[in-house]
Order: sequence, then structure tokens, then C-alpha cells
Amino acid sequence: MEEKQAIELFLQTRSEESFCTLFELFYARVRRYFLLRGLETSTAEELAQNVLFIVYQKAGDVREKELFQGWLFKVAKNELLRHWRRQRSRNEIAWFEPLSDELTERLTTEMEIARNSDFAEWLRYLEPSEREIVILRFVEELNYEELAAALDIPIGTVKWRLFNAKKKLSAIITASSPDNRTRRIN
Amino acid sequence: MNHGISEKEWNDYLEGQLDDESRDRVEAHMIGCLTCWTFHEQMALMNHALRRAGEEMRISLALQDEKLYDGMRGVFARIQEMEQDAAAPSQNSIQQRLSELAAVMAPMCGALTALEALRAAARVSPAHSLERVNADNWTPFLTSLTSIATVMCGETGAHLVWESGQF
Repeated sequence: MEEKQAIELFLQTRSEESFCTLFELFYARVRRYFLLRGLETSTAEELAQNVLFIVYQKAGDVREKELFQGWLFKVAKNELLRHWRRQRSRNEIAWFEPLSDELTERLTTEMEIARNSDFAEWLRYLEPSEREIVILRFVEELNYEELAAALDIPIGTVKWRLFNAKKKLSAIITASSPDNRTRRIN
Repeated sequence: MNHGISEKEWNDYLEGQLDDESRDRVEAHMIGCLTCWTFHEQMALMNHALRRAGEEMRISLALQDEKLYDGMRGVFARIQEMEQDAAAPSQNSIQQRLSELAAVMAPMCGALTALEALRAAARVSPAHSLERVNADNWTPFLTSLTSIATVMCGETGAHLVWESGQF
């Protein structure tokens, strides 16, 4: 089922079945968002579950179904802020049980991908607010209206922030790209 | 660098969202301005690189079915817990009501006698015991208690008990 249909069906019926479909479409994306924000895999999954639980409870808060994805990532962003506040306010002692080799490899690979990719490298050059907008625009493919809803900022600010992020990165990417040939005007 | 082209216009041009007239103006300017041409090339390259990197992230961080269903089970467990908690307060409110009835009767006949009256009313009602009084058998229980209160506390006391027991 297409995302738009699934969103509409869930907002209309709020049934468990429609929520399952919505979950299948969006859980991976929210989890990926948290991974790209630097969280460990297990934390990313826990927070993604929190987000989808909130979606189930509070879907009635969505005023415009076209901006559902914007609202979803706004919930995700708030969940991330809550997580960081909790982290700051307590000292954690983590006890690790030995993991199977297969699981260790899978977890390590996923965290390595999220942290050691070119994309993650580029994100390190950006301010947190710019990082957020680049992830949501280029990985999660939110449009400007959805970005404005997710970040609670005007569309003009979305465009300005995105443009500045691109300018900052362009010098770095241009210097590192092998594909640096002249293009025709589009 | 401005050259008559705002940041908003640059952004919209790169995203393919500029109106025709503005797009023609930007392109006409770039033909004669190496600085802006170079800037456009760098930004277009960066845009392309970001889109490609975003796609790579979507592919490489794709979720396996097992993890998806683990997540789904986790969320549904929470939903079930939430729904159970929502049902629980009705039993909690029964307990609260019983405490309130005991508190209403205590000044009239003493705390221990009030408690015995509640137990006696429950025994002769469909609940059979105070622990099993619930929303479904509340009315017959309250009717029994009011009858007992009529004997112990008089008509006025009984009326007070009846009114206090209404939801």
C-alpha cells in the first residue's frame, strides 16, 4: 500500500490493522533517522518504538494528513531531545552480555555504516540544526512543507537553512569528488 | 556574492522550483558570469552528491523483516499495557467509592460497624463479597447497604448513603 493511502486509512480508522501497515512503512525510516543522529542500534530501535507508540496514541493531533510525515519526524526529534536530556541527567553504567558473533557483526556493520559513511562524514561539518535538515531532506526525502512542520519553522527558514548547509558542504564535496566536470545548464 | 540573485532564488533554481521568468534571468546571467557559473556548478554537484548519498543510506540502513516484527511486537505490547491500565481505573474507582461510603457511615455508627455493614451488604448482594463488588453489581450492593443503613442510621442516614453511592 502506498504511504499516502496508509496514512489516510490509519487516520480515518485508527485500527490495529491500519497501524500495522503504517508501522511497516515508517518504523524503518524513524529508526534510520536515529541511527544517523549517532545513536546506538538498540537505542535507535527503542526510540523508534517510542515514536510509533506516540503515533498510535496521538494521531488525532494531526490536523493535515498531507503533513503527517512532518509531524512524525517532529515527534522523532522531540523524542531524541528527551533522550539526550535523560542521558545528561544520569550516569549510566552499561553491562554488556556477550553477543553472538553474527549479531555483533550485524550491529557493528550497521553502526559503522551510519557513522563512517561519506554522508556521516559530511554531516560532521554541519551545525546540529543543519544536520537535522540535511538528513530529513536527502535521506527521508521530506518536502519543504513537511520539513517546516517537522522542525516547527517557516518554509523560508527551511530553504535558507538548507541553502547554507549546501554552501558549507559544497567546497568539501567539490574538493573530494572525482566527477568534477563542467555541466550544461539545466 | 549576490549579482542580483538572492539565496532563495539560487536554492529554488537548484531545486528546479524557480518560475520561468526568474530561471531565464539566472541562466542569462550565468552565461556572462564565471563566478556565478562556478558557484552553480559546485552547488549542483553537491546537490547531486547529497541525493546519491541519501539513497545509499536508505539502501544500506534498510531494515530486516525480523527486526521490523520485533519492533512491532514491542509497540503492541505497550499498546496492550496502556489499554489494560485504562480499564483498571474503573476497579480503582469502585474501591474509592467503597472507602467513601465507609467514611460517610463511620460518624453515624462507628468505623468498624460501617465496615461490617459494607461486608454484610456485599454478602447478600450478587457480589457475595466486598472484594467482588464491581461496576456491574454496584446497584444491588448499594440497595442492600441502604437497607442496612436505614436500620443503623435512620432514614436520613440511609438517604445520605444512597446519594453518596451514586456514580
